[in-house]
Amino acid sequence: MTKKMTRQYLVLVLPGFIIFTIGLILPMLMALRYSFTSWDGMSKVKEYVGFQNYIDLFHDRDFLSAWWFTIRFTIGNTIIQNVFALLFAVALDSGIKAQKLYRTAFFVPCLISSLIVGFIWLKMYSNVLPAVNDLLGTHFDFLLFGNKDTVLTGLLIANNWQWIGYWMLIYLAGLQSIPAELYEAARVDGAGSVSRFFNITIPMLAPAITICVVGITTGSLKVYDLLVSSTKGGPGRASTSIIYQTYTTAINTRQYGYGSAMSVTLVIALLLVALIQVKQLKAREVQA
Amino acid sequence: MKRKMLTILMSMTMLTSVLSGCGTSGKETAEKTETDASAAAEEKSQSDETTQEPSEEVTLTVLAGQSTTDAGIEDMIDEALAEKYPNITLEWECVDWGNDFQPKMQQYMQSGLPDIMIGKAQDVATYAPQGILGEIDSTYLDRVLDAASENVTIDGKTYGLVYNALYQGVYYNKDMFKENGWEIPKTVDELQAIIDDCKKKGITPFASHMVDTWSIGNVTMQFAMNDVFNHNPTWGDDFRAGKTSFADSEEMKTAYRYNELIYQNTFPETFSTEQTDCDAKMVKGEAAMKVSGSWSIQNFLDIDENFNFGIFPFPNQTGDSKLIFEPNITIMTSADSEHQDAINCVLDVLTNDKELAVEIYDYTKTAAMLKDVTPTFANPSQADIDDYAAKGMIVDVTLGNNQLVWGGFQEENAKDIAAWLQGDCTFEDALKASDARVDASSAN
Repeated sequence: MTKKMTRQYLVLVLPGFIIFTIGLILPMLMALRYSFTSWDGMSKVKEYVGFQNYIDLFHDRDFLSAWWFTIRFTIGNTIIQNVFALLFAVALDSGIKAQKLYRTAFFVPCLISSLIVGFIWLKMYSNVLPAVNDLLGTHFDFLLFGNKDTVLTGLLIANNWQWIGYWMLIYLAGLQSIPAELYEAARVDGAGSVSRFFNITIPMLAPAITICVVGITTGSLKVYDLLVSSTKGGPGRASTSIIYQTYTTAINTRQYGYGSAMSVTLVIALLLVALIQVKQLKAREVQA
Repeated sequence: MKRKMLTILMSMTMLTSVLSGCGTSGKETAEKTETDASAAAEEKSQSDETTQEPSEEVTLTVLAGQSTTDAGIEDMIDEALAEKYPNITLEWECVDWGNDFQPKMQQYMQSGLPDIMIGKAQDVATYAPQGILGEIDSTYLDRVLDAASENVTIDGKTYGLVYNALYQGVYYNKDMFKENGWEIPKTVDELQAIIDDCKKKGITPFASHMVDTWSIGNVTMQFAMNDVFNHNPTWGDDFRAGKTSFADSEEMKTAYRYNELIYQNTFPETFSTEQTDCDAKMVKGEAAMKVSGSWSIQNFLDIDENFNFGIFPFPNQTGDSKLIFEPNITIMTSADSEHQDAINCVLDVLTNDKELAVEIYDYTKTAAMLKDVTPTFANPSQADIDDYAAKGMIVDVTLGNNQLVWGGFQEENAKDIAAWLQGDCTFEDALKASDARVDASSAN
C-alpha cells in the first residue's frame, strides 16, 4: 500500500519536478558556473576567474547604484501598495454602493502588460498631464520621468496604479473570510472601529499580509519591463534596476560571466528576503 | 468552309479591336513583349551563373534587426521573392536593432544561426571574426556601390551586403533659416550665433529626445567623427593601446561637451520626449535644428509632407566638418547554412529587382546603395547632400563605429553622459567611466 502511494506521489510530482529542474534549477546552476568565468557569451572559451567577478561587483559603481535604486523602489512599493490595497479593500468591504464597479476599475490595470503601463505613463507625464496643465492654466511639473530626482516617484505612481487593485482583491478575500461574530463580540465588549481594525482585522488578515508583502517585495526586486518602455533605466542611470543592469551587462556589454555573478546576487537576495519575511510574518498569523 | 472563314475573320477583328483598345498597336505590344522577354532573359542570365532556384520548397529563417524606419520592408521582400522564386519562403523574426539584435545573435550563436541576418554594417566587424558569417558572392556585390563594401570587408572577404544608407548631421528648418537670415554655420562660433539669435527670438535652437539614450550615443559619435576621427582615424585603436583616453583627449572632451551645448539649448522636457514627439515639434516650428539622421525624414514627411528641411554637418573646432554617412541595412548570411542556393536567390532579388529597391528606399526614406537605382521620394535635404558629396565632404561613420562599438560601449557611455547632464555625476566621472569600459570598446 505504501509503495503504491509513493509511486502515485512520484507520478504526480515528477512532471512539475522535471519542468522546474529544466526551467529553473539547471539555468541557475549554469549561471552560477558562468559567474566564475570571464565568458563573453559568444566565444567558445570560458576562462575560469574564480571569485574575481564577485570581488569586482563591490567596486562597480553602476552595480551598487542599481541595487540602491532597486531597494528604494521595493521599499516604496511594499509600503504604498500594502497600505492602499488594504484601505481600498476595507472601503469596498464596508458595503459602499457600486462596489463591483470600483473593484473592476481598480483591478483592470493589472491585466495590462507592464510594458504598456510604462508607455502609458510616459505619455501621461510628457503629453497628457502637461496638456491638462495648459487647459487649466496651472504650472505643475509633471515631467517626473525626465529628472533623476523625480523618476522614482514617477515609477512608483505607475507601478502602484497597476498593482494596487490586484493586492486589494487578495485583502478583500481575506476580509470576507473573517467571521462576523468576532466583530459582534468586540462590539459587545465596547471596542471601537479603530480598535476592531487593529485587534481583529489585522491579525486575521495576517496570512493575506504575508502573501501580499512577499509578492510585492519579490516582484519589485525583479522590476524590468516597466523600465524598458518608460525610462529605459534613465535619465542617465537614475532608474536602472538590478535586473536591467544585469541584462545590459551580460548581453549588451558582452560580459556574460560578470552578468551571471550579478544575477546570483539577486537570487540570493530574493531568497533571503522571502525567507525572512515568510518566517516573520508566519509567526504573527492567527487562526479563526 | 464559309463558317470557318467567318470565324477566323471575326477572331482577327476581335483581336485587332482588343489590341487597339489597349491603346497600343500590335506591333508595339509585340515589341514590348520582346523587350520584356529579353530584359527578363538578361536578368535571368545575370542571375543564372550563381543563382540556382532550389527544386524543392525551402523556408529560410531571417533575423532582421530593424531601425524604426525599416519595419514593413519584410512584406515587400516577401512579395518580390514569391514572384521570382516561388519555392522560397522567408520566416522573419524582426527585432529592434538597438536593443534586441545583439542579444538574439548571442542566443543564436549557441543554438544555430538563422540563414540570413539583417543588421548594420558595423555588425560585420563584430560577427565575422567569430567565423560564423558566410562570404557574399561577387555576383551580388557587383550590383552595389563600391563604397558600400569597404567597411564590411575583412581580410579581402566581404561578409555583408549593404543595401541602403543614412545621412547624419544637423537637420534644419529651411524656411526658418531663410526668414531669420541665418547662414549655414561652419564653425562652432557661427552655430553659437544662431543659438543666441534663436533664444533672443524665443525659438528653441535644438529639438532633441534624450529620453532615448541611443540618441545621445548617436550624436556623440557624430561629434567624435568630426572632432576626433578626422584628426586621428585610428583613435579607437590608440585608445585600446593605451596611447590616449577619454579623460586625456581634448578632442574627445570637446565632443562630449557638445552634448551640454545641445542640452542647454533644447526643450526642458527632452528627457521625457520621445522621437516622434520631438520630430513633430521640429516640423511645427518649435525648434530650429535637430542633430539627427535620415530616420527622422520618415517622421518629418509623415507629419507634414511639405516640411522644408535641409542638412549640414555639426560644426567642429577646425571648421572642416563633414556630413556623416552610415551604411545601414546590411545583409549577412550564415556560414553554415544548408540552403546557400536559396540564400543566393534572396540576394538576387534584393540586388536585381530595382522596383523592389525603389519601393524600399522610398518607404524608408533612405539613400540607395545599389548601382543605377535612385529613390523617387521628394527629399528636401537631397540638394544639401549632393552639395556635400560633390565637395567630398562626406565621411563614413563605420570608421568610428568599428573602432568603438555601439553595443556595450557607445550606448553605455551615452548613459554616463546623460547622468552627467542630469548632474548625477561629474564630467570627469563620465570620461573615466568611458575609459574604464575599454575592454568593451572593441567587438573582439
